[in-house]
Amino acid sequence: MDEYQTEEETTFVVDEVSKVIKESVEAAIGGNTYQHSRVNQWTTGVVEQCLSQLSKLGKPFKYIVTCIIMQKNGAGLQTASTCFWDNSTDGSCAVRWENKSMYCIVSVFGLAI
Amino acid sequence: MSELLKDKPQKREKKTVKVPTEASHGVRGKETTGRTKDSMSIVSSIDELGHHEDTRMVVTMENTYQTGPYKRFPVGAVTDILKDVLTNYLQEERYEVEWSQKMTKTICEVTRARVKDLMIPRYKVVVLVHIGQLTGQSMQISSRCLWDKSNDTFATYSFKNSSLFGMATVYGVYFE
Repeated sequence: MDEYQTEEETTFVVDEVSKVIKESVEAAIGGNTYQHSRVNQWTTGVVEQCLSQLSKLGKPFKYIVTCIIMQKNGAGLQTASTCFWDNSTDGSCAVRWENKSMYCIVSVFGLAI
Repeated sequence: MSELLKDKPQKREKKTVKVPTEASHGVRGKETTGRTKDSMSIVSSIDELGHHEDTRMVVTMENTYQTGPYKRFPVGAVTDILKDVLTNYLQEERYEVEWSQKMTKTICEVTRARVKDLMIPRYKVVVLVHIGQLTGQSMQISSRCLWDKSNDTFATYSFKNSSLFGMATVYGVYFE
């Protein structure tokens, strides 16, 4: 089956994805203060918003979106990831967002089909 | 099995993302900051530690006429690996910034090596490790995936002791 796709469509474009993530995070939780009772729906909101925007890009990719929302308390957090994939087509992007009361880290992994 | 992923899969590591109280952070790469009301967003892209080949062409794979994976991703075995690795590395340890930076990367590498040893063909693997300090703060980690539910899956395990918590997740994505 021939696929007439240009190289741009089959590689992970970091800039585009990071723009999508930034907008999704702002839309979902921008301007809110940390509230334990609402954090569950916020993470769900952020992640689902990201995923729906990414699927609208229409690229032949499978996506994994992870979101961490943490209250600002002076605590430290380390995150690392390592992947076994095809370097020429797959990629990942991480966006760190913060406001006065919380941190939000969103990572997106895109794997080509 | 040469039609699988490249003969030498290159590692792609994401630098650890520190979340300190001051504004600086240790992630290199492109950054743009924008200010809105009382929130600040910092965009950082990954830091590629493996060398990047610009002359590499996108390879089109030949048709394998295979409709599904012959061997599925073993969730139970991978969860056991995660439990084993996290408990061994984090039991009786205290949270320290430098140490935990190295430890997250080490745990990532070790987990990925062990999952690769399981030799599950045609599966791409993504390993995510979080180590955090316990100071009474609250946090939520969630993830969603857009993939093929019948073939792709994940395994996760979290560990806690008196001063830190560690969480590891492995996603297995089938390569069609």
